[in-house]
Amino acid sequence: MCDVCGCHTHSHGDKHDHSHSHGHSHSHDESVIVDINRSLFAANDAMARSNREHFDTEKIVAINLISSPGSGKTTLLEHTIDRIGKEINIGVIEGDIETDRDAARIRAKGVPAIQLTTGGACHLDASMIHRGFHQLQKEPGGDKIDLLVIENVGNLVCPATFDLGEHRRVVLVSVPEGPDKPAKYPKAFTTSQVFLITKTDLLPYFDFPVPEATREALELNPSLEVMAFSATSGEGFDIWLDYLRDLVKTVRGKQPA
Amino acid sequence: MHEISLVQGLLDQLHSIARENNAKQVLRVTMIIGPLSGVVVESFEFGFDILSRQDDLVRDAKLEIIIPEVTYRCSNCGQEEVTSRARPAQCAKCGDRILIATQGDDLILRQVEME
Ligand SMILES: Nc1nc2c(ncn2[C@@H]2O[C@H](COP(=O)(O)OP(=O)(O)O)[C@@H](O)[C@H]2O)c(=O)[nH]1
Ligand SMILES: [Mg+2]
Ligand SMILES: [Zn+2]
Ligand SMILES: [Zn+2]
Repeated sequence: MCDVCGCHTHSHGDKHDHSHSHGHSHSHDESVIVDINRSLFAANDAMARSNREHFDTEKIVAINLISSPGSGKTTLLEHTIDRIGKEINIGVIEGDIETDRDAARIRAKGVPAIQLTTGGACHLDASMIHRGFHQLQKEPGGDKIDLLVIENVGNLVCPATFDLGEHRRVVLVSVPEGPDKPAKYPKAFTTSQVFLITKTDLLPYFDFPVPEATREALELNPSLEVMAFSATSGEGFDIWLDYLRDLVKTVRGKQPA
Repeated sequence: MHEISLVQGLLDQLHSIARENNAKQVLRVTMIIGPLSGVVVESFEFGFDILSRQDDLVRDAKLEIIIPEVTYRCSNCGQEEVTSRARPAQCAKCGDRILIATQGDDLILRQVEME
């Protein structure tokens, strides 16, 4: 039960069984045709909106990291925590893999983190984040988060379809994966606000023309912010850190004091 | 395969719609699946096939899928191209490569026939 976000309103769907009997019976095999016109995304989108409102009332900025497995989401998080964990309180919802390994890597840095058990799902949805966020708030330090980072399941297809209630969606492609990801997985790029090209320390060893990948992504989504860096060498990483600092500031600035 | 979880959501909706209309059987389900919805039509059909078999209400239901066209508007000259196929590589009129899609990302339960 939670009185902050009003989640009790979502759970009694089956209770009110409004039986609109329409006056005529269908007992003699006559069929009825009913126009519905309802989105199958509606339930997730409604939950995502309520998550976002919840984050807003708690003055939390939420970001959703999407990439193929191994693009460097957890590494990005570790280095981000090392660099700005003292000035911004970060909290993490790990959805990537079943084992507690990624969450343990984050917790080792003294940051509240929980591992979602997704039952092998290929994406996270808004109700998983709703539950996960409540769980996270009970962790030590979970009550004073400024920046919530959600590490989505490693997959460039399915996660693109599900709004989690994040303020910014961030898609990552690492240099060894090659530059054709925007063309192959357009929805991840059209629904994101930020595109990170990671592992640029490997550029000498792989054929990854950064300007071309950037151009292809911008053709799909001209408002995308593109950054290229290496988390491990630190090259270009300050731009990402400044982006996060600004983001926390602007979203906070919009809140009533 | 997020299509499976979307089909599960569809079946849940069909059960409540059938209840509201005192129907015992769903005969036909009409879906609109936009080409940019991130839903693979074959996977959706496959999921429907598998899940409906285990469900008395929808076991014999026919799934109809409407795939709407998408309008791509050139960000440079405003030229519009309407297609149900893949995104055009560039504007047919001026060659600009920034084309903005309107709609096409819907996944809508359009209509249900039941008895
Ligand atoms: N060379 C290099 N390797 C990296 C970088 N970032 C991550 N990696 C490596 O890539 C692998 C996968 O990283 P991980 O963060 O677990 O990816 P995730 O699956 O997206 O969370 C690990 O072996 C990391 O050490 C980077 O900036 N440069
Ligand atoms: Mg990871
Ligand atoms: Zn999937
Ligand atoms: Zn044009």
